Amino acid sequence: MSASPALKDEIKLPGMDLKKIGKDLYEVFIGPQHPGSGHMRIIIRVDGDVIVEADPDLGYVHRTMEKLAEGREFIKVIPLMERMAILDACNITLPYVEAVEKLMDIEPPPRAKYLRVLLCEINRIASHLYGMGIFGVFLGHSTMYMWPFGDREVFVELAEKLTGARLTHTYAVPGGVRRDIPQGFREMAEKAARYMEKKLEDYKRIFLDNPAIQKRLVDVGVISKNLAAKLGIVGPNLRASGIRYDVRIIEPYEAYDEIDFEVPIYEEGDAYARAWIRVMEIKQSLNIIRQVLEKMPQGDPLHEKFWAKAPKLYKTVYETTGRAKLIPLYANLKVPAGRAIARAEAGRGEVIYVVESENKTKPYRVRVVSPSFRNAIVFKYIVPGHRIADLPAIYGSIDYFPPEADR
Amino acid sequence: MPGKVVEKKTPKQTLLTAITGNVGAILVGLKYFVNPNRFTLKYPYEFIELDETYRGFIILELKKCIGCMSCARICPAAAMKMVKIQVEGKKRPMPVPVINYNRCIFCGYCVDVCPTEALAHLPVHDVVYTNMEDMVLDVDGFQKLVDTPAKDEGVPVKYVFDPERGLVKVPATRG
Repeated sequence: MSASPALKDEIKLPGMDLKKIGKDLYEVFIGPQHPGSGHMRIIIRVDGDVIVEADPDLGYVHRTMEKLAEGREFIKVIPLMERMAILDACNITLPYVEAVEKLMDIEPPPRAKYLRVLLCEINRIASHLYGMGIFGVFLGHSTMYMWPFGDREVFVELAEKLTGARLTHTYAVPGGVRRDIPQGFREMAEKAARYMEKKLEDYKRIFLDNPAIQKRLVDVGVISKNLAAKLGIVGPNLRASGIRYDVRIIEPYEAYDEIDFEVPIYEEGDAYARAWIRVMEIKQSLNIIRQVLEKMPQGDPLHEKFWAKAPKLYKTVYETTGRAKLIPLYANLKVPAGRAIARAEAGRGEVIYVVESENKTKPYRVRVVSPSFRNAIVFKYIVPGHRIADLPAIYGSIDYFPPEADR
Repeated sequence: MPGKVVEKKTPKQTLLTAITGNVGAILVGLKYFVNPNRFTLKYPYEFIELDETYRGFIILELKKCIGCMSCARICPAAAMKMVKIQVEGKKRPMPVPVINYNRCIFCGYCVDVCPTEALAHLPVHDVVYTNMEDMVLDVDGFQKLVDTPAKDEGVPVKYVFDPERGLVKVPATRG
């Protein structure tokens, strides 16, 4: 339970000295039933109002997903893994699909790659807006809670038009995607993007440029570059600490190497920078959505292995409704033996899958490393030294999502 | 061309930004106070007329079914089961799917895998059952059209995208 002595020296805040605490410590349990903290608990020890120790306690929504995956056919693992982060469903399952594709030695057709990127970016926006809304209500800024949640609806609706489901899209399957863009989707996406760009200006004025918010966020919960690298955190939190790491540029997957986009980096590493980076990433995601819709090539939705021999009815359905039907082979997809690893940049950071197959219809092992799990450790090292009132600001800025961490 | 990293800086806080920031925040608040951007759905007095592509409740067209069992095999939640029944025009009993809506997760795999399009989604997502047993449908129940319970007293609406207001609620016509 004690904070690591090596890292304790790094905790320095202006005007706040850490002193050795004897028995005059109070233990405060934040969560798991606290309205703000979600399905996790942070055990903090306070000296007066100042937190001296913090211990994140995870596992309240652990659902043994990795074990459950071993008893299911390959295609049935996708709807299961989506339950990790239903608002980020395409991003969080994409590496699994890619790993299975690597084992099967197939590559999705170019059009499917673009469609995956399209849904990934819609999901990323929705995920960031969700995080910003929670962040807002943690700070007592209920406007910032209502607005992003309302605006997220725009992108949930957009995803519904594309996939037919609001949240658990189950969109990417080994070999391609399940639907093509519907009629008039380009106009809808353009309208949504223009609305969001305008709305981001409003967010900036009412939230980010608001001195009341700045006072609560600036220099709070600073993750130094060194600490971020040492703890191995991922995603927007890492980039807000000035580390240039994004799977979309380090190891471009799907169609990301054909798209021109920016990855914003902030050097400050405080809660304020983490709030800014999400706004900037939403801007870039809108940019990516526009490019994808512009550059998307024509072609099949599924790999020819599944599409070339499909009956005529399948092609008629695809042409009339945009639904790419799956051939019955998918139910018992036999994946060649081997081990494959794939990663992707989900809304909250890098998600890694290791899929091991034994030439059977069910995977031997599916290992998931989810971004929130890697970010959770940060609470232990950045919370000490702050006052209790700063804890919601830090918690909200990390955008920690318990179901994703606990799997 | 792949993406590139761009360094940004958070704005500095000065006395000037403190003043403009406060004024700006209040002005934005006032703007939405005068002209709020609401699109609340007053369910059940209004209900959404969903697209035909929506992945809602599932219906079986028995005539098209060939009893191939693909739908039951691909169902990730084990909601779909096959039962053997005597179908008109067949000598022997044939396996046909039935569904348990206690388990269904509406992933739509069964509809997509059906080689004869015997299964289809209905643009309905809010059917109400009064007890758990009713959610397990038999072959007859699986062929019946279901509709939203809000249709009796509610009016159908649709959300359309708008560059100014995001989503706008407009009246919709059914059918």
